[in-house]
Amino acid sequence: MTTVVATAQTEGSGGHTAVAARTRQVTKAYGSGETRVVALDNVDVDIARGRFTAIMGPSGSGKSTLMHCLAGLDSVTEGRIWIGESEITKLNDRKLTRLRRDKIGFIFQAFNLLPTLSAAENITLPMDIAGRKPDREWLDRVVETVGLGGRLKHRPNQLSGGQQQRVAVARALAARPEIIFGDEPTGNLDSRAGAEILGFLRRSVDELGQTIVMVTHDPVAASYADRVLFLADGRIVDEMHNPTAEAVLERMLRFTASETAQPGHPSTSQFGSGRTA
Amino acid sequence: MTVLKTSLRNFFAHKGRMILSGIAVLLSVAFVCGTLVFTDTMDHTFDKLFNDSAADVTISAKEIDDAQDNGKVATVPVTLLEKAKRIEGVKAAYLDVSSDKITVVDSDNDNIGPTSGAPTVGVNWQESDRNPLELSSGRLAKGPGEAVLDKDTADKKDVEIGDTLKVIAIPGTFEVKVTGIASFTATNPGATLVIFDTPTAQAKLLGSTKETVEVDLDAAAGVSNDELKKNVLAALGSDYDVKTQSETADDAADDLGSFFDFMKYAMLAFALVSVIVGIFLIVNTFSMLVTQRTREIGLLRAVGASRKQVNRSVLVEAVLLGVVGSLLGIASGIGLAVGLMKLMGKAGMHLSTSDLTIKVSTPLIGLVLGVVVTVLAAYLPARRAGKVSPMAALRDAGTPADGKSGKVRAALGLLITGVGGAGLVLATTEDDGGVAGQYLGLGILLTLIGFIVIGPLLASVVVRVLGFLGLRVFGAVGRMAERNALRNPRRTGATAAALMIGLALVSGLAVVSSSMVASATDELDKSVGADFIVGSDMGQPLAPQVTQAVVAAKGKLDHITNFRSVNAKVTTPGGKDEKGTLEATDPTYMQDVRTKAVAGDLATVYNTVNTVSVPEGFAEDNELKVGDKLTVAFVEGKTATLRIAAITADDTMLSHGARFISTATMERNLPEDKRPLAEIMLASAKDGQEDQAYTVLKQNLEEYPQVKVRDQADYKKVLEDQVGQLLNLVYGLLGLAIVVAILGVVNTLALSVVERTREIGLIRAIGMSRLQTRRMIRLESVVISLFGAILGLGLGLAWGIAAQKLMELGGLKVLEIPWATIAYVFVGSAVVGLLAAVIPAYRAGRMNVLNAIATD
Ligand SMILES: Nc1ncnc2c1ncn2[C@@H]1O[C@H](COP(=O)(O)OP(=O)(O)OP(=O)(O)O)[C@@H](O)[C@H]1O
Ligand SMILES: [Mg+2]
Repeated sequence: MTTVVATAQTEGSGGHTAVAARTRQVTKAYGSGETRVVALDNVDVDIARGRFTAIMGPSGSGKSTLMHCLAGLDSVTEGRIWIGESEITKLNDRKLTRLRRDKIGFIFQAFNLLPTLSAAENITLPMDIAGRKPDREWLDRVVETVGLGGRLKHRPNQLSGGQQQRVAVARALAARPEIIFGDEPTGNLDSRAGAEILGFLRRSVDELGQTIVMVTHDPVAASYADRVLFLADGRIVDEMHNPTAEAVLERMLRFTASETAQPGHPSTSQFGSGRTA
Repeated sequence: MTVLKTSLRNFFAHKGRMILSGIAVLLSVAFVCGTLVFTDTMDHTFDKLFNDSAADVTISAKEIDDAQDNGKVATVPVTLLEKAKRIEGVKAAYLDVSSDKITVVDSDNDNIGPTSGAPTVGVNWQESDRNPLELSSGRLAKGPGEAVLDKDTADKKDVEIGDTLKVIAIPGTFEVKVTGIASFTATNPGATLVIFDTPTAQAKLLGSTKETVEVDLDAAAGVSNDELKKNVLAALGSDYDVKTQSETADDAADDLGSFFDFMKYAMLAFALVSVIVGIFLIVNTFSMLVTQRTREIGLLRAVGASRKQVNRSVLVEAVLLGVVGSLLGIASGIGLAVGLMKLMGKAGMHLSTSDLTIKVSTPLIGLVLGVVVTVLAAYLPARRAGKVSPMAALRDAGTPADGKSGKVRAALGLLITGVGGAGLVLATTEDDGGVAGQYLGLGILLTLIGFIVIGPLLASVVVRVLGFLGLRVFGAVGRMAERNALRNPRRTGATAAALMIGLALVSGLAVVSSSMVASATDELDKSVGADFIVGSDMGQPLAPQVTQAVVAAKGKLDHITNFRSVNAKVTTPGGKDEKGTLEATDPTYMQDVRTKAVAGDLATVYNTVNTVSVPEGFAEDNELKVGDKLTVAFVEGKTATLRIAAITADDTMLSHGARFISTATMERNLPEDKRPLAEIMLASAKDGQEDQAYTVLKQNLEEYPQVKVRDQADYKKVLEDQVGQLLNLVYGLLGLAIVVAILGVVNTLALSVVERTREIGLIRAIGMSRLQTRRMIRLESVVISLFGAILGLGLGLAWGIAAQKLMELGGLKVLEIPWATIAYVFVGSAVVGLLAAVIPAYRAGRMNVLNAIATD
């Protein structure tokens, strides 16, 4: 397997325009005193535009927290976050909501859809809420891409789990958000259905230039990404470009080992490691 | 036992969700207990008052049933006093003079007496220690020009010592100066009391110092009241009514009873409404709790809990709710009773809270009622809980399954509604009034039940229509509100049903009452020729002074007609007899009110002696025709044979069912001093002098504020006001029903918001603003409320129309649908929806997006 060499976290020449989202010195702590938990610890991340980024790490390492903060769903304790050029850590709830509506798409692990709305209505929901007319042509293309043609009139409870996730993907794509966040979007699916969803995501990056950030536990899922960020104990401890499933798996296994060896702080050691096994 | 433990845990874990149902139980129990405590307290208070103030034994005139209302008080000769004093066992004897046939006015000619139904009473000052009054300032009245006034009235009407009052009594009007103020040592039952010395009371109230109303006796030590009564009867014979203290008190209580019964039933009606509406609330709460807990119940079942245990665990929660709600309800009921007593105080009746009477049965009744109602209401949801399969534990409980309204239910509901509808239609076509009334009652009951049963079915239709008409403008938010209202039709139906019941009752009654006003006005226009109507607003007969004042305006008047009610026993040729009244009028009545005769001629009745008219229904029932004879025994007068000279139509509102005779017939058969006073007088002005006549009449009657003269326009207004007052009670009921219904909507929404935590989190995550989220909840609430309003108004209109058609034969000829009221109610319901959504919408907007997403 080829070795992936880490590049600098900010891509030099591209400047800010090449960055869809970034965090600076972001710390997120829950509770206080004895029960204080630091979920994110001084995190600096840049999400490149038009790329597919995966976030991995052991359970409890802060992946979901990072994603929630990036997506403007949660507030940070310290630090700043930008989506495109706008700093979201300064926005109030109203502006944040509008930002999520217009610039961000979501795919959750489960319960992505409103049970009372049909698949089609779920897909156009963000635009309906905004009172925007969906772009028909684009919509058709998205629906076609995820292969939902015959199922648009169905309610979520009439769809399989995989189909429901496809609707969620379609919804995330339909509004052409600047960035799509997914928290284990394939976590509830079998490998075939999962592969389909990941395929769509990959194609939307390649063909449509979409920016996607995805949290996952699955090395195979991560291998669809252009770049993998590894999180441990609330810190970015490693990253990998053009990952393969094997490389990711191997990296993850080392986590488990180091974690058991050194509870508390994982080895932040070999930055830019990722040697082949 | 573990199942019991889970229900206890659940109950306390979901305290918040139980609050609104608890309030519903609380309200119902509070109304019932409040009513009981209040009426028991009243009974107790008045028992005490009457017992304390009644003499050991009283002697009064023999009571005549249905005596003619000639304005006179039944009396006995004063000589009885001396006789009584000599009876064995009598310690002391007093004269007791009182008359409630008086009106007292101040120098501005304002009536100082109560207008709420309690009487104005003139009495003599009693030297006995049973006198319920004590002088609080000034001195006792002495001689014909002086009187003492009770303190409550003096305070309320600003009367002071030295002021002059005018007493309008039947023997004549006289003026008195107030020399003192007296206050009640116990409860003031709300009456106005004017106290004279004994000779003045006799002369001015009874018209003779040789008469008294009662002779009161105190028993000597060691003589029981019953013994004394026996002695009195032995000494005086059976020419008089002789009553012991407890008999007097009982009679007085009976007289008062009917007024309290009215209050009691009105309050129990409130209780009934809140119980019925509360049931829906409880059903909904438990249904939702069961739905939310489906997974947990499935788990219980999977690990081996039996259906019965699950079922019971829900019922145990209901019992807990019932107990807590009832206990709070009992406490609030007592508070309500105290509040009512305070309110009565404002109305002039002082009740002391130290007399608060709480019988042991009251809390028991409250507790049993609360618990039984709650458990009954929770029964269906509990059964559904029992039916939850162990599989439910494995299923994703994220979205509660859409409650499908079953086909059986729909068919059953349609059937019941259909039968009810048929009942309503039959009620309008049936000729026999009694049977038609039964059809109407049945129709109302069945259509109501039917609507409740098919509510869920109707919900899906009506909500869609409402959505199409009103929600589309709100875009995605509107669509989601519509879908949410539709997702569980059973819940929407039950929530709306609570509102429906109240609105159906009100709109039905509104139709009937406005039809009543319209019909009466119409009839007034068509058949009343008299220009003026003179009568008392409190239904008292007209004192002779009043009659004279009207007659004094003769110069401007074309004619004056007296209208009297005569009490008599009427026997038909078939031998059936009944006690009742005959209306005696003058020949000019012919021009004043054009009563329709279906046979014979009314002119004969008004103009000849010993003829009578009977209404159509009465004639049919007794197979009477013109020329037949009725035997009429005039109370306190002769028995005469009256020939039927006319049969009057029944479809009239004025003097409906009246039997007319001429004034001459009345005079022929009643001795002069027994003739009843005029109930109303009708008059018409000379041509072209209507305005002057009205002015003169008003002037002449200015001194008698208890009597009003009205022209037709003013009279119509009075009719409307009277119906309006009746409606106030109805609106009171409505208000309560709405409060409970709002609680129901709030309850449903609040639980729905909790249930949809995840969905709300999701839509917030993908960009719905707080405002939009709140609007979504509000719209759902408005749609549910409007749905309830549409059903309620529809049902009420159907009921009202059926009732009007039914009463068409009885004179309710004009159907008037109060569209304005209906529009208000409709708009009001939307407002109710908005109000109900305030808190749930606020909470939905405040929901933390992340927690919502994380909620399992
Ligand atoms: N609301 C909260 N209150 C307190 N602590 C929290 C809260 N949410 C997360 N945490 C803590 O923050 C840390 C990071 O949680 P996070 O959910 O981001 O982990 P994760 O990497 O997504 O884990 P997983 O792979 O299991 O989803 C954990 O230690 C967690 O216990
Ligand atoms: Mg996570």
